Amino acid sequence: MSLFWIVISQLAAVETMSTSKKVITREEWEKKLNDVKIRKEDMNRLVMNFLVTEGYVEAAEKFRMESGTEPDIDLATITDRMAVKKAVQCGNVEDAIEKVNDLNPEILDTNPQLFFHLQQQRLIELIRNGKVEEALEFAQEELAPRGEENQSFLEELERTIALLAFEDVTNCPVGELLDISQRLKTASEVNAAILTSQSHEKDPKLPSLLKLLIWAQNQLDEKAAYPRINDLSTAVLEDPAI
Amino acid sequence: MVNNQDSGGCCIDLSQFGAGRGGDDIDMEDEEEVPRYLNTINSSGGFLMVSTDKLSVQYTNVNLHGHDVGVVQANCPAPVRRVVYYFEIFVKNAGAKGQIAIGFTTEQFKMRRQPGWEASSYGYHGDDGLLYRGQGKGEAFGPTFTSGDTIGGGINYASQELFFTKNGKLVGTVYKDVKGPLFPTVAVHSQNEEVNVNFGQQPFVFDIEAFALEERLKQQMMIEKISLPLHVSHWIVRSYLLHYGYQDTLNSFDMASKSTLPPIPVAQENGFNEQGEMYALGHRRILRQLIRSGDVDSAFGKLRDWYPQIVQNDTSTICFLLHSQKFIELVRAGELEQAVKYARAELAKFFGIKPLATLLQDCIALLAYEEPVKSSVGYLLDATQREVVADAVNAMVLSTNPNMKDSQNCLHSYLEKLLRQLTACCLERRSLNGDQGEAFHLHRVLQSGKGEK
Repeated sequence: MSLFWIVISQLAAVETMSTSKKVITREEWEKKLNDVKIRKEDMNRLVMNFLVTEGYVEAAEKFRMESGTEPDIDLATITDRMAVKKAVQCGNVEDAIEKVNDLNPEILDTNPQLFFHLQQQRLIELIRNGKVEEALEFAQEELAPRGEENQSFLEELERTIALLAFEDVTNCPVGELLDISQRLKTASEVNAAILTSQSHEKDPKLPSLLKLLIWAQNQLDEKAAYPRINDLSTAVLEDPAI
Repeated sequence: MVNNQDSGGCCIDLSQFGAGRGGDDIDMEDEEEVPRYLNTINSSGGFLMVSTDKLSVQYTNVNLHGHDVGVVQANCPAPVRRVVYYFEIFVKNAGAKGQIAIGFTTEQFKMRRQPGWEASSYGYHGDDGLLYRGQGKGEAFGPTFTSGDTIGGGINYASQELFFTKNGKLVGTVYKDVKGPLFPTVAVHSQNEEVNVNFGQQPFVFDIEAFALEERLKQQMMIEKISLPLHVSHWIVRSYLLHYGYQDTLNSFDMASKSTLPPIPVAQENGFNEQGEMYALGHRRILRQLIRSGDVDSAFGKLRDWYPQIVQNDTSTICFLLHSQKFIELVRAGELEQAVKYARAELAKFFGIKPLATLLQDCIALLAYEEPVKSSVGYLLDATQREVVADAVNAMVLSTNPNMKDSQNCLHSYLEKLLRQLTACCLERRSLNGDQGEAFHLHRVLQSGKGEK
């Protein structure tokens, strides 16, 4: 039996030797961290980019005053964009469509899928408000022609119309369409389309950098043992487990 | 690092605040040497002739056997600190037998053999379209090539592969098992073969930029799939605003967060711990605004009223920063006589302190110029210098918080710590990877970008 354990422990030793990682102590790592120069103005820009892309207009304006950072897009366009988003979130789709066209008529022209989703949302709102006749008319005149052009639109249309068949919509298989999450989804789509049309990235940079941090640490784990940040919300360095 | 132990042990290291001439970090990527021309010194001279501009090669002999190949390498190995490296050759004349090759070889390569015929070398050969990588026998790889063709060879550090192109189209890839520096290599082997080389001085036929972009996007797409804790970005931005005292922004931010759909709940509900950085928020905001507007006297006054312990020691770093900024403001206003008086009264005492020496010297130097803004010390007149002082004051005030568990927290916001960790990890990973690939540069990420995501 003891021979067995000797063999096991020797195998374990060989394992550790072949996968031996470079060990970086806390002190060494902190020195490397100290050598990194992060410019305050770059961090300000990152924060401003977040505020602007996520639509915090007032906060962006205040931040510009308090920090002297210039936003990368015109703040006025944010207000317009947020108005569209809000309209969809509240179910005022007709109003939203009007606003989008005021902002830039090309957005809906060049985005058939977005336009279909907005029309679909309009249909959902009509059904939600019990306007059955209007809903049917709308579906037949506005949505069916689009469905003919595109198979997936047709499927979506049929799913939406199915809502009418149920007395108790909260329990039917397509009930999720009436959920507020559906409105939020459409609102998000519109928001992204507007940002793209303004040649602005539709996502803020900060979350990507956080993901990059997680990825970089995972990659480095394969080759080294070093102090990690495991909790992004506290940014605390945790010592390597040696 | 100056030990400013008076108030809660918060150490202000001037370099941490980017104080100093040319705060720009040296872009390490630019330091690498890049191949520009052909190396005539180690080429198999006698078999070939390299043009005077060192960008063309011609086989002068009649070849007789396998050890009289005319091989020439670039003047230096391919740079590694990037996503891809690439160069092209144009076959001007395929000569008698079209035995042209393009590839990569190491420094020790025997210069009378085709690249790929020896170990630790790679060659894509025009006469048979095969790829040779260290064995006598080549592998099926791509089409043959001849006069009028443009062939490219490249190294993809992201995927650790070599790749070759013909007339703008990718031909194939092969795994790069040779570690260490690789020299772009060109070879000719039959009478009258002639080849031109392009190391980037001319535009490439192959769209290398699109190729590099594709590689970056592949990596980005993979990273995007990683999930983050809910609302963590929101929390980090909020902490940032709190840390630096941007009170108005913070209030707007909080209000807007409540009315978003779905509303973003207060920190505690998300499991995020508020570290008590609400401490002295109002004061810190006022101090920042005063310094940003150049009103150092008022800032000093407020500090004496509210946090006398910070400015108690008149030879502390924080006092130096404040006094030097006052001096800078006087110079900015053109009040040079007053500036001199102020320097004598308040700056002279700092002359013995080594860590402050450079900054002090730079400040005084402002007096020497008629147009200080245009001088080498002009950076002091930038708004960023005021920012440095404002951030230092902010850190000192935070350090007076009796509830502060970790004194180092007052120096850096969470965002800064995360970004440093990110930078350090990328650098270390690259260094352990033979220094290959791109590292992380916040500045570059911010520049990039319309459409590139």
